[in-house]
Order: sequence, then C-alpha cells, then structure tokens
Amino acid sequence: MSDRARSARRTPVSALVSSLPIEPLLAQPGADPLEVMHRAAAQPQTRLIGVVDDSGVLIGVVPILRLAEAVIARISPETLLADIADLADAARFGHVVESRFIRDVMVRTAAVRPTATADEAFRLMHERHLSGLYVVDDAGRPTGYLDLLELTLAYVEALEADRSGSSGSADTTAVD
Amino acid sequence: MEVVLAGGIFLVTYALIATDRIDKTLAALLGGTLVIVLGVVDQDAAFGAVDLNVIFLLTGMMVLAGILRRTGFFQWAAIKAVKISGGEPYRLLIAFSLLAAGVSAFLDNVTTVVLLAPVTLYVANVLRVSPLPFLICEILASNIGGTATLIGDPPNILIGSASGLGFDAFLLNLGPVAALILVVFVLMTRYFFGRDLTVHADVRDAVLALDEREVLTDPGLLRLSLAVIGATIVGFIVGHPLGLEPGSIAIFAAAVLALLSRLDAETVLGEVEWSTLFFFVGLFMLVEAVVEVGIVSAIADALIELTGADPVATTLGLIWLSGFASAIIDNIPYTATMIPVVQELGAAGIPIEPLWWALALGACLGGNATIVGASANVVVANVSARAGHEISFRTFVRYGVVVTVISLAISTVYVYGRYLLV
Repeated sequence: MSDRARSARRTPVSALVSSLPIEPLLAQPGADPLEVMHRAAAQPQTRLIGVVDDSGVLIGVVPILRLAEAVIARISPETLLADIADLADAARFGHVVESRFIRDVMVRTAAVRPTATADEAFRLMHERHLSGLYVVDDAGRPTGYLDLLELTLAYVEALEADRSGSSGSADTTAVD
Repeated sequence: MEVVLAGGIFLVTYALIATDRIDKTLAALLGGTLVIVLGVVDQDAAFGAVDLNVIFLLTGMMVLAGILRRTGFFQWAAIKAVKISGGEPYRLLIAFSLLAAGVSAFLDNVTTVVLLAPVTLYVANVLRVSPLPFLICEILASNIGGTATLIGDPPNILIGSASGLGFDAFLLNLGPVAALILVVFVLMTRYFFGRDLTVHADVRDAVLALDEREVLTDPGLLRLSLAVIGATIVGFIVGHPLGLEPGSIAIFAAAVLALLSRLDAETVLGEVEWSTLFFFVGLFMLVEAVVEVGIVSAIADALIELTGADPVATTLGLIWLSGFASAIIDNIPYTATMIPVVQELGAAGIPIEPLWWALALGACLGGNATIVGASANVVVANVSARAGHEISFRTFVRYGVVVTVISLAISTVYVYGRYLLV
C-alpha cells in the first residue's frame, strides 16, 4: 500500500466533511414520516436522516430506504408483502406497518467524532450498510454529515495520485 | 454406571433444551454424541437409530414449502381470506384461523403462521383493531390443523415413521377429531374475541383494496408447486400400501419440483432448516442410549404399574400426560422419548394403535397451552412483539389453556368412543 493510500485512510473525517454539498437532515422523534419525506425530497443528496432529541443530541438515524418503506407500506403494502421470505422480513414488515412517527422507523445511531479517520468511518458505514454518517461533538450533537461519496472521493484522489506518480517514474526510466 | 450416565446426559440435555440455555440443536447434538463418546451406546447403534425416513420427510417438505413460499402463495391466500370475509373483522378472524389450520395440515406450521402474520398485522392496522386476537387464533388454529395429518406436525412425523401408520391412517383417525376440535374452537372465538372486533364500514373498504395478484411473484411456479405438493399428498396415500415410505416420496417430489422450477441445488438446499434436522439427529441418538440401558423399559413398567395395565387408563392417561408435557417442554423431544415407551407398552399387551393416536393428540394439542408450547407460538410472538404488540405469557395462556383443555377433553371422548369402548 502506498503512502498516499495510507494517508487517505488516516485522513480525519473533519477534512472530508463538506467536500461535497451534502448537508445534514435532522428530524424530531415525533415527526410525521410523510412530512420528513417531503424534506428529504428537497435535499435528495442526504440519504441518512438524523433524529435528534430536544437538546439536539443524535439519538438515532433513518436510512432513506427505511423511510421510503414506511411510506410505501401505507400505499402499496403488496409490494413489500411480496418480498417477505422469512421471520426477519415478517418482523420488519410488521414494524414498518405500525410506523406512525420517525422514532418508529429509526435505527440506532451511526456517528463518528471529527477526529475519527476515514478508515474508521468507512468500517462503520460498511458494517451497518449505511451510505452516510453523522459527525458529532463530544455531547453527541451533530456538527456535520459525511457521505460515502465524500469518503470514497478521498480514496479516488489517492489512487489517481499514485497512478500519475507511477507514470512519471516509468517515463524517467524510459528516458534513461 | 451406564444407566446413570445415560440418564444424567438425557436429563441435562432436556433441561438445556427446555430452558433455552444453549441452542437446542447444539444441546441435542452434544447429548447425542456424548453417549457415543462415553461408550454408553456404540456408534453403529446410535447412527442406526437416526430415522432417515423422518429426516428425508422433513427435508422434502421443507424444500416444497420453501419453493412455494417464493411464489407469494401464503400472502396471496391471506389477502383472499380478507376478500372472502368482506373485511368484517370477526369473519376475517375465522377466515384466517381456517386458513392457518388448513395450510398447517399439509405444510410446516411455522412457515404458515410467519407468512400469514404480515398480512394480519397490516389488516389489523388498517382496521384499527388489535392484531392480537387474529394472531392468537392463527397460532391456536395452526396447531389444531397440524394435528390432522402425518405431515402436519413433527410429532406426527415421528410417530408415523415409528409405527408404520401411513398418511391415510392419520387422516382417517386424526382428521375427524381435529376437524371437530377446530369447529369447537371457532365457536369459542366468538366468546373470546367477538366483542373486540367491530369497525366502521369505511375502514373495512380500505382493507378490501388490497390486491392479491400483486403479491404473487411467480404465478407459473405457484401452479407448479401446488401441483407437485398435491401429487405428493396423493403419493403418500398411494405409496403406503406399495411399501413406499413418506420420506422417499417427499424427497423425490422435492427433487422433481426443484428440477422443474430450474432452481439450482444450492438455492433448493438453502430452504432446508439444517438446524432442525440435526436437532432430530441428536435426539434419535440420545433416545437410543436411554433405550439400550433400559430406562425406557423402566418408564414403561412404571406406567403399567400405575395404570394396572388397563388399556383405557393407560391410553387416556397418555393423552393428558402428553398434553401437559407438551405445554411446558418441546413436544419433539417428548415424542421422541415416548415412542419407545409406547412400543414397550404395546409389547406388554396394551393395544398399541390407540396409544399412538393418544400420543399424537396429546403432543400436538398440548403445544397450544402456552406461548412456549410450540415453535409456531414463539415465532409469531416474536413478530408481533417487534411490531409493537407483545403477546405476553399471561395473555396467551388465558386462551391457550382453555382451548387445550377442551381439545384434550374432546380427544379423550373420541379416543375412548372410537377405540376403547368395548
């Protein structure tokens, strides 16, 4: 692994946040999923909604797919019913059908500190199958949003820099 | 020494299974192999005790049910039941109960109720009623329906293989009493839940908007699956007089359906609950150990002494003993243990066929008494809890015990009247 790649992995999250214009989208636990869906539609780049309590602390997240399921279940339950194959699917559908508020569809918090590395952030996203994470302060309040694209771009830049660095070396060799 | 070892391993294994301290399959495998490792029973005898007819019958039916599940059949049937009931909640409760009972008679109870549950939850949500009456009735009805046939419930599969009684024998002997119990159960639901299920007409209309065609993912595969399952049932009936065991028929049918549906072997075998099969394997080996060391004979002798070898007392007592035991412990290990006991009782001169029916009725129906009495109960409770509607032990037992006692009472009268009345 090249130094550039290692360096990219160790890049702090604070340096990656806002490299793309993707902003946090926050909601209260008692918010109506339909109302939150409208807000998500106005901000389509943000694919993970943060749920904050009255003091602004992040208490959960809602992947956009999960929010969509809660809405679709009300209009076209047959679509979700057809996909049920086992106990886990049945339980998930049952939960979705009962969703009245955002707190009913949220999953546990997915967040990192600004000092966390790109590698740590990616591991968390990968493990939780999320395409974004919230950056929080010491009190757990969101200070930013890191999208998977922002993180991946940092790695792309490192790979491209490696490639152009290698090409430069090859030319030198040829001349010699 | 061997008796102490076998008995001790047996009790510890059953305690682990009953208390859920460790995964029950691991418990059964540990118990079943420990008796070999410690020399209580030799490997040939232990392996020979694994009833492959049971294993292959279970495997075949799992594959058939699994392929059928892919088609959306269960969800389709549930929505059809909604339409037939006109969205009227009490009629819907009866429709769901009859559906659960009917399907469970031929396919795995757990698959049936797990796949009915989502439609149930949705419908209850739209109707703005609690889903608990529907879910509880589906659980109770599925266990009653599963009692009716050889393949409806695992205890029956075990008993059928050990006794040599075929699909037709189960249908002719247990079908009538299961049907009668189901009718009585349906009448009881009016008393249990009739008052809780009234809704406004406009809410009913919302439920009737469900389109059953939208949940079918593969209508062609559905038709094929139903045809093969139907042929399998016919095969069970026709095969028995020809000496063909249900295990062979089920595996053959599963292979045929897999081939015709163009599913690869890995996908097909992914439908098999290997954990359940190895649970049975472990139990067979463990029970063989307690048979070989004479514990089973001792139990049989004790029962004979208790009842004075009276066929009526023994047979009717077996119904209630089995019902009680199945209410509190898993009915599969209970049945596996009682099969050799029943064989000993038969060898001692007590008419054996009524004993088989008594064991089947008690073991299958006893599972309705508590929320932990049968696997279907546990999984539905799980789904319901995750949807925010907990079925507590107390809530379920209020209905379960009543239904079970009445079911066992009907079974007692039936068995006495049909087999024991001189």
